[in-house]
Amino acid sequence: MDSSSHMASLPEDIITDEHLQQQTQPASASAFASVPQRPPTKSSSEKYAPLDWSVYFDKEDDVAIPESNDVFHVYTAGTEGPVVFCLHGGGYSGLSFAVSASKIKEKARVVAMDLRGHGKSLTEDDLDLSVETMCNDVLAVIKELYSDSPPAIILVGHSCIILLTIIGKKLLHHQSMGGSIAVHVAARRSLSALAGLVVVDVVEGTAMASLIHMQKILSSRMQHFSSIEKAIEWSVRGGSLRNIDSARVSIPATLKYDHSKKCYLYRTELEKTEQYWKGWYEGLSDKFLSCPVPKLLLLAGTDRLDRSLTIGQMQGKFQMVVVRHTGHAIQEDVPDEFATLIVNFISRNRIGPHGIEIPGLRKPAFSKP
Amino acid sequence: MPSHADLDRQIEHLMECKPLPEADVKALCDQARAILVEEWNVQPVKCPVTICGDIHGQFYDLIELFRIGGNAPDTNYLFMGDYVDRGYYSVETVTLLVALKVRYRDRITILRGNHESRQITQVYGFYDECLRKYGNANVWKFFTDLFDYLPLTALIESQIFCLHGGLSPSLDTLDNIRALDRIQEVPHEGPMCDLLWSDPDDRCGWGISPRGAGYTFGQDIAAQFNHTNGLSLISRAHQLVMEGFNWCQDKNVVTVFSAPNYCYRCGNMAAILEIGENMDQNFLQFDPAPRQIEPDTTRKTPDYFL
Repeated sequence: MDSSSHMASLPEDIITDEHLQQQTQPASASAFASVPQRPPTKSSSEKYAPLDWSVYFDKEDDVAIPESNDVFHVYTAGTEGPVVFCLHGGGYSGLSFAVSASKIKEKARVVAMDLRGHGKSLTEDDLDLSVETMCNDVLAVIKELYSDSPPAIILVGHSCIILLTIIGKKLLHHQSMGGSIAVHVAARRSLSALAGLVVVDVVEGTAMASLIHMQKILSSRMQHFSSIEKAIEWSVRGGSLRNIDSARVSIPATLKYDHSKKCYLYRTELEKTEQYWKGWYEGLSDKFLSCPVPKLLLLAGTDRLDRSLTIGQMQGKFQMVVVRHTGHAIQEDVPDEFATLIVNFISRNRIGPHGIEIPGLRKPAFSKP
Repeated sequence: MPSHADLDRQIEHLMECKPLPEADVKALCDQARAILVEEWNVQPVKCPVTICGDIHGQFYDLIELFRIGGNAPDTNYLFMGDYVDRGYYSVETVTLLVALKVRYRDRITILRGNHESRQITQVYGFYDECLRKYGNANVWKFFTDLFDYLPLTALIESQIFCLHGGLSPSLDTLDNIRALDRIQEVPHEGPMCDLLWSDPDDRCGWGISPRGAGYTFGQDIAAQFNHTNGLSLISRAHQLVMEGFNWCQDKNVVTVFSAPNYCYRCGNMAAILEIGENMDQNFLQFDPAPRQIEPDTTRKTPDYFL
């Protein structure tokens, strides 16, 4: 009877082993056969979380203008080469150039300024966005930054770019005055030299024709945001920006917190600056065309040229590049391509740290195939 | 193989600004390629001949040009490139010129402009127009493949050198040009690019072109090139000139522009240059054709910008 009981226990063990084996095998096959599950999608707030400027720029500074209470915020990157001085569009900030700056800085220095009433700049009258005032602001900043050893400067402007043409002319005027000073002070290094002009997606004719719609466009934007993440998300989903990384770094600087309403609003009250808009564009094309330095016009579409620029382009007065798959903010939507275009422009026109480096071209030797 | 009668029917069809069926375009381009492959980089041309500049898809202005200058084949023609982009009718324009080339191969010469290029036509309108009119990009491909075979320059009676853009620092002589391998997409730089992109300049010597491709060249360069090659004149297009033609560099170079009111907004005249039996030169200027009903291109509401 004991032996009978003993024999009964053995079959149980055997059955258990077989059972385990059978269980293991299907699990193993299932593991090999199944497609691994994707990790869970990032939450919306994480996807649109703000990014710090220091990911892209090397440094930020406040430039206090002597004999005034105005302080302008600038972001800088790079240590060698000419200065690519970036002026953002209305409602943007210097951080609009953040992602592209991180690529331009490999070949040139970058300075991106927050204009009056934008970003972290603080002035006595943040609503005075007249051309004259803003030109004086930029010239004052350039003077503070480079009074000792002015470099070659390529002015890059997005939208408010009549600033470029007027500032450009003033720099050239300084240059000629500096030239006469240099005759008497041989040891003195040259004053800042305007070496190039880059205009991003603005054409006088198109702009003037669109101004009548602008208040409506401004008011149709989302006005209040419960968080910075929501504002970033709206800028990308709403289509005004197409590059999430760029939006994450640039949008926070365009906002301010309203403690009474407990939400984020636009830092720049553009709708209150309408009196100045016309001045930003009137006469722009002719001023651009008459500026005697190499010029690059970047556009998001070909149907935007007005008469003056069409004639100028067809007469070979400037380089034009149509950038595809981008909206109005080319430097944000396609920062790599934008940076490449800037760097190639500098290289092609032989712009060095202190201006054009080769006065003339040698004729390359013809080589027979 | 289409007969003369077929070609005449196609030309008549095209003269009414009606595109050919896709299959006809393919056959036409195949025929044109067989003709163009036999032509030189410096294609010899006999006088009398009428030299034309940019057309840029302005079909009705091309018809006006023929009205002023005379119809092919009664008048011999030399077109210096830029048949497509910008205007509303690049398809009809380039198809007509290619059809005329196939029909009257020795009486019409068509050169390559900087816009006869895959890259440029994708940006400035020809590609989009082909998509719109044919529903696919096949016709765009037929033509851009054909463009590679267009001659780069022409030489009238060994005296007048014709090309779209201008000179190249890499090319001293006509033989240098003859040695180029032209059957390719227009490169971003180099001698072939220069021939299609360069411009004459008031300043002497070679300069960096503001356009971003090609060079600018001074009177000294043009005079030397003309002297070295026994030429009396360089005739070129590429630049809009308000009177339709413009002498420069002490008559070493002339610019001919044949798209009046360029882009339907510039208000310029157009011109063609008649070279007579005895090499005499006569400019014919003309205004745009009476305004046609513009094609319905959607004008979208402006984006935010400031």
